[in-house]
Amino acid sequence: MGNIIFPNFPTWGIAKAFVLFGMAMYVIFGFVMVRQVKLMTDTLQLGFESMIKIFSYAHLLFTIAVFIFALIIL
Amino acid sequence: MPDIFISEEKKEPEKAVTESTPVEKEVKEILGKTLIKKEVKSLIASYLRNPKGVNFEIKEKQEKIELLLRMHPITNVKWILISIIMIIAPVVLKSFPILDFLPGNYQFIVILGWYLIVTSFVFESFLTWYFNVYIITDERIIDVDFYNLIYKDISTAEVERIQDVSYRMGGVVRTLFNYGDVFIQTAAEKPNFEFLAVPKPDKVVKLLQDLMIQEKQEAIEGRVR
Repeated sequence: MGNIIFPNFPTWGIAKAFVLFGMAMYVIFGFVMVRQVKLMTDTLQLGFESMIKIFSYAHLLFTIAVFIFALIIL
Repeated sequence: MPDIFISEEKKEPEKAVTESTPVEKEVKEILGKTLIKKEVKSLIASYLRNPKGVNFEIKEKQEKIELLLRMHPITNVKWILISIIMIIAPVVLKSFPILDFLPGNYQFIVILGWYLIVTSFVFESFLTWYFNVYIITDERIIDVDFYNLIYKDISTAEVERIQDVSYRMGGVVRTLFNYGDVFIQTAAEKPNFEFLAVPKPDKVVKLLQDLMIQEKQEAIEGRVR
């Protein structure tokens, strides 16, 4: 798909690349968050570690799912 | 004539020991609910006296946690409100054609990405509040801080090194919800400890003073650990 001035310019291809790059960054952020939770729960045991860990993994899965979904539908 | 077959007397099946009566069931339900309530309460509590099941990395064996503090739950209102606005924003903005220049699939991904950011924001804000704690044990005070994503800062000072303790409470909200800042001056490596926006600052100061007196007595009696 191109635009009016440059008909052959792959506008949406570049947009897709940017979106996927952003999503990939977010997946890395998801991993960092899991690591952060591990660091926090290792430092302090306050009684709700398992629940917080589960949430951090769920968040990571959500980021990966959105990345894969973007890869498929864009 | 001898009996060839004598049928066994039918015995009523004994009630299972574990089976509970309706009253017992009711009691269990109430107890269960109370326990759940207690657990939820301890999850969001910011003033925990002699907390059970709490441990930290540098805790010594004989050390006893006297008080666990974190910022008053009311301080979370700001990020909770922001989160609510962020959650409802796409629904409200639907009536404005902001994303109409994008194809349908891109619009969908933008909204998904937005909710991803909201999730991270909520989780990060909660973690920051939940894990930034102040601990007072019978031997020392500990300030646990987590900065950004992977930096942590743990400062400690022995109770016997505390020189001065004071607190500050001011403003409508702080007075209404009874929370304030506690300032501790020490002769340790970190000279100033600040327990910010903690509940019942007067009680915290009182506890610290009691611990200081206790430590002095122990030093006089030669019972130093």
